[in-house]
Parts: sequence; C-alpha cells; structure tokens
Amino acid sequence: MSDWADLMNDLNKLQHSDAVTTAWQFTEQVPHGRDLGMQVVSVDQGQVCMRLTPQSWMFAHKDTKEICTSVLYSLADSAGGLAVFAGALELMPIATLDLRMDYLRPAIGDRALSAVATCRHLSDDVAFIHCDILSEGNRELLATANATFMRNTQGQQLHAGGPGKESA
Amino acid sequence: MSTTGDSAPQISGTAESAKECADWQALLERIPYAQHLGLEVQRGDVGVLVHLPCREALIGNFMLPALHGGVLGALIELTARVAAQSQDAETRCPRILDSHINYLRSAKARSTFARADIIRQGRRTSLVQVTCWQGDDKKPIATGQVQLLLPTMAAQQEDRHGH
Repeated sequence: MSDWADLMNDLNKLQHSDAVTTAWQFTEQVPHGRDLGMQVVSVDQGQVCMRLTPQSWMFAHKDTKEICTSVLYSLADSAGGLAVFAGALELMPIATLDLRMDYLRPAIGDRALSAVATCRHLSDDVAFIHCDILSEGNRELLATANATFMRNTQGQQLHAGGPGKESA
Repeated sequence: MSTTGDSAPQISGTAESAKECADWQALLERIPYAQHLGLEVQRGDVGVLVHLPCREALIGNFMLPALHGGVLGALIELTARVAAQSQDAETRCPRILDSHINYLRSAKARSTFARADIIRQGRRTSLVQVTCWQGDDKKPIATGQVQLLLPTMAAQQEDRHGH
C-alpha cells in the first residue's frame, strides 16, 4: 500500500470506537489473512470493505488464471467476522456457525478481489452477515455469501480443549 | 498438544483403493491452491481421505489458537471437487457452484482430515457432502455440502474445436 493509502487507513481507524479499531487490528494480524495478503480497506457505518491481490498459487487449475473459489470463501469469512464487530461496536469472542457461498462467475486473477460485508441483523446471541465479492473496478458480482456468527462464545472458545463444550 | 489421532489409520488396501488414492493425488496436484495449503491424499479405513497438516499460515485465531474458517472451507471445497471429478467417467473438471458449511466444533491447530460422500452424481451436476474431523472421526468439526457443475458435451466439443 502507498504512504497516502496508509495515512487514509490510519485516519479511518481513528474515527472508530476502540472495539472496531481493535477488531480491525486483530483482523490484520490473522496468520491466514496475512498469508493470503488480505487488507482491511475501510470500516464505515457497519460496512466492512476488504481486498486481496491474487497470486498464481491461488489459482484453481494449473493451466488457467481462475482464482480458486476457496480464496473467495476465506475473504468472505474474514470480512464477515469483522462486520460483526462493526455492527455490534463491542469486543467479544465470536465463532462462525455456518457460511453459504454462491459462486456466480469465475474470478479471473488479473484484478484484485474486493469484499463488502454488512451486518444484516444482530441479536444477543447471533449476528447475520451478508458479503458480496467483486472484482476491483468492476460492478459485476463474483460471489455472494451469507453467514451466521455466534456471539459471546467465550465459554466455548476459551475452554476449547475441554470435553463437551464445543458446540454452540 | 496431544498427537493421538493425528495420523489416519492405515490399512493394507486393495489395488483398487491404491489406484483411487493415486487418482485423487494426481487431481490435487493440478490445483495450485491445494498445493499451497499442503493438502495430501491418505488411505483411511473409511476410504480415501484428504489430510491437511497444520502450519502457522492456516491459523485464523492466534489466541486460541484455531484454524481459519476459510481453511476448513478450502479443505471441504477441494475434497468435494476431487471426489466429483474422480467419480466422473470422463474425469471432467467440475466448477463449484455453491457451498454451505456448518461449523460444529472449534478447529484446533492440529492435523485435519476430510472424507467425501457423493450424495448424487448426475449427468450435469454433482452434490458432495464432506465431513472434517481432527482426533476422533466420530466427532466432526465441520460438515459441508458442495454443488458442482460438470461441463456439458457441447462445451467440451467447443473446447476441442478451439484447439
């Protein structure tokens, strides 16, 4: 990212509550997200935008430039998780309950992917998230995702090693 | 960290299952992203398995630590794709249309295995159910259903004429 983009990134972070800022920083530190090169572009009024620059090792076939659907899946899961915090404005452990992806078009690897995730509904226990994946600079949808996240999973997650406490 | 169950039980299989493993391995090797993740084929007592060895780049939550949900998504989608393709008489390369994954237990930072059950292999589509587990295959950590589209004869002929 350029210096200017870094500065805008920092300014955008400053506008947020501590919870969103922490969740943003946490998202940028996730090893799998770093491996794929995911970046948080903005968090604005509960809407999260993330981007990812394709690499040839992300392709679905040896002989084409189509990006593997699973890369889009990871991006949707990460953007969806951050959208829970952007919607709730408080920090709490969360866990993905389920995620449904529809792959509308093949994603060709010559443009960055961008993900836009929003929190559709929030209850005490659950967050419902929608995420669209687009090719940067193109309005055509590549994929859509709907995910359900469990909120406040502290008991389950912090005792993940213990017996019988894993299911939500 | 416990290491029990981190290697799938190996059985002395028939020549047929050895061939099935080789077929799956060959298909996985044609998928660059599967190679990046480190997916490998193993023969288990319930048939062919896909094994995902754990490494740092697969972590989604470093505080627990736990695997990223998208890593399990990839394991499920790619296992479904290889299962559907190996089942097809012409080994046509399927396109993934949609996938729906349920997360049942936390995915710890350890080896993960996946098994595919083909719910229906049609002429144009294939619906595959994939189950993932870590130590105990009776305690799945995630299950997913993947719908795949197999290219039609017309599309294949178009490809051939294109060459």
